[in-house]
Amino acid sequence: MAFAISWTRLGGQSVPLAWRSLLANRRRLVRSSAGIGFAVLLMLVQLGFERGFFEASLATVSALRGDLFIMNASKYRFGSRDPFPPRDLAAARAVAGVAGVTPLYGAWQDFFWQPPGSDQPYLVQAFGFDPAQPPFLLPDVEGESARVAASDTVLVDRDARRFLGMEAAQGEAKINGRPVHIVGGFALGPDFLSDGTVMMSAATFAAMASGGRVPASELPVEFGVVTVRPGAKPAQVQQALMAALPQGLRVMTKPQLVEFERKFQSDLSSAGPIFWLGTLVGFVVGMLISYQIVYTDLSDQLPQYAMLKGMGYETGYLVRIVMTQAGLSAIAGWLPAWLVGLLVYWAIGRVALLPMQMTWQITLISLGLTLAMCLLSAALAIRRVVAADPAEIF
Amino acid sequence: MPHQVAWRILTDQKGRTLLAAGGIFVAVLLIFVELGFFVAVPEGGLLIYSHMRFDVLIVSDKYLFQSESGSFPQARLAAARAVPAIAAATPVYFGNAKWQDPSGGLKLDVTVIGIDPAAGVFDVPGIERQKAVLERPETVLVDSATRPLFGPLTAGRVVNIAGRRTTIGGTYQLGTGFLGLGVALASEADFFRLFPQRPQDTVNLGLVRLRPGAGPDAAARALRAALPADMRVFTRSQLFSHEVEYWTTRTATGLIFGSGLIVSFVVGIMVLYQTLATQITRQLPQFATLKAIGYSNRFLTAIVVSEALLLMIAAFVPALGAAFGVYAVVRSKTLLPLTLTATEFVVVFVLTMAMAAAASVLSLGALRRADPADVF
Repeated sequence: MAFAISWTRLGGQSVPLAWRSLLANRRRLVRSSAGIGFAVLLMLVQLGFERGFFEASLATVSALRGDLFIMNASKYRFGSRDPFPPRDLAAARAVAGVAGVTPLYGAWQDFFWQPPGSDQPYLVQAFGFDPAQPPFLLPDVEGESARVAASDTVLVDRDARRFLGMEAAQGEAKINGRPVHIVGGFALGPDFLSDGTVMMSAATFAAMASGGRVPASELPVEFGVVTVRPGAKPAQVQQALMAALPQGLRVMTKPQLVEFERKFQSDLSSAGPIFWLGTLVGFVVGMLISYQIVYTDLSDQLPQYAMLKGMGYETGYLVRIVMTQAGLSAIAGWLPAWLVGLLVYWAIGRVALLPMQMTWQITLISLGLTLAMCLLSAALAIRRVVAADPAEIF
Repeated sequence: MPHQVAWRILTDQKGRTLLAAGGIFVAVLLIFVELGFFVAVPEGGLLIYSHMRFDVLIVSDKYLFQSESGSFPQARLAAARAVPAIAAATPVYFGNAKWQDPSGGLKLDVTVIGIDPAAGVFDVPGIERQKAVLERPETVLVDSATRPLFGPLTAGRVVNIAGRRTTIGGTYQLGTGFLGLGVALASEADFFRLFPQRPQDTVNLGLVRLRPGAGPDAAARALRAALPADMRVFTRSQLFSHEVEYWTTRTATGLIFGSGLIVSFVVGIMVLYQTLATQITRQLPQFATLKAIGYSNRFLTAIVVSEALLLMIAAFVPALGAAFGVYAVVRSKTLLPLTLTATEFVVVFVLTMAMAAAASVLSLGALRRADPADVF
């Protein structure tokens, strides 16, 4: 029917044949968009999980504030206890270009949290630092860290897994059997090592870690967080620090530290391949669906295509129509799937506490994959048009 | 009779049918894979337990899951042994230590399991065979699934574990489960040499074996009565469901693979619906003719349903075959214990049939519109 209209105006190239042909059968358009859309949604969900996994595991390290980080050279990942003596930091303070060095204490295997009103201990990630210089970029930590200056007070992760009872960020809880007072919260979220995070002053940390036996000034340090003087080049200060510090310590810039953790995660976690496999499956399913759509459409319209050929239109012109239509149906499937994807991301993010975000990268990758699967399947199905013989039709 | 018509329709255009079966094949395969992961994650958490010999497990009442097991005093084991149905109660210790090559390098986290080598804790041939090796002082056996990052696991290599020179006595094949990147097995004496600060009175797991003829449920009840309230008692099956529940509800994995499962299910329905609807549209004159010559709507429905079932079976069989292949690849790449059990087979088959049913229902709308008057 659409063809009937377009034929009357077949004067020039301007007739949007592909568009007409796409809209000719609304019912079929809805069906095909739904088919392609579900394949796209499958890819979106898998891509979102892949990114969410990495983001969750990099959340803590990305939230660190500081220009340079001093740590043990034998440390193989951010979240592994491998501290060094606090006196080693003294040399760093004298290095030119260093504005300040503050110790960061960390624990991943040693702090057991008993939620308010419960005596079940759960392993949590814990940090201790000078409340006057909180080494985290989290706004709530910066705003509320002064409150943890009082001993046995803590800030907790409001986005921690629910069973830790940190959501309300208030009340009395216990760490390693010692009572603590919750004075505030921040938003970080769990990763695959820890279900939640607590932050406190270095003094409280030392008391919890050693049972009160070791003062904060003698407690081994996990990271020395260095602030560089305005105007000084971090890379140069990094070189100077490495020369000044005892052997066995190393210095990383923030991007290097994030990359260090990312590399560990991608080398040792099987999450990446699992979700890429899922994306690939979505792509293949999408291709099959889209091939079926294009193939059916071409079979239905074959007489018209043959007619156009008989009238003298070049094969190239027909190929362009088919490809354009495939591209249009790709977008018709992708757009609603992307919108539904936003909703699905939001829901999964809330339930699984995963940082699911529709980023530009995911948007572009999914659109690219959708176009690729539709165009590829159209290219496979197009042989029918190329072979269409006007003589056979009439 | 309707299935014969369905067969004719499907074999009339073999290319198209093959294509449709291909789409459903991929969807079914995806269901197999997602279900495999869904099941494998808790399986990974159960791996160590499933190779331990015990009928009943006693743990601290603070027990959360294997890696956060809490600890209890030795005296509880003695109390358990006093229960008549109990033949033996053996302690198992877990500890986290750093592993480093004596020449330096990274300090890696290794989980050390302390056992009495003579107690037959593991039914793993490599451990049974090397009991004598494990008895040697300052010697550990290392799980062969320990990551390559740890360097060669050759027998005789000396490494520092918790800062102490320790010899690798050999390797065994069990898998690290979710105990971390590397697992080493030590005798009780060596375990406390590695963790000198740790009191002997901190048992993590108590493996209880029963006298022949004793039932685990009755024995668990007797143990609960005999032990103080600071202990928890699990029969093997109770423990396994507890661990599965932990992994599927307390972590994100259940949701991730659960949602993957749902999406693949819907994708499968869409592919099949797409196929059926196209077929019906193409055969509409024929369907209308059948109607006109007196065949009932039920007959036509039966044709469509038969088509759906035939396509599903055509897709299910190769998907099952491919699933075996994918599982094997995933097993080798990720150390997740993906296995195709009878339960999984049945679940996927039922899901496949449900997909066929749903797609048929959706596409019947087109069939009802078949009006003889329209065609002629």
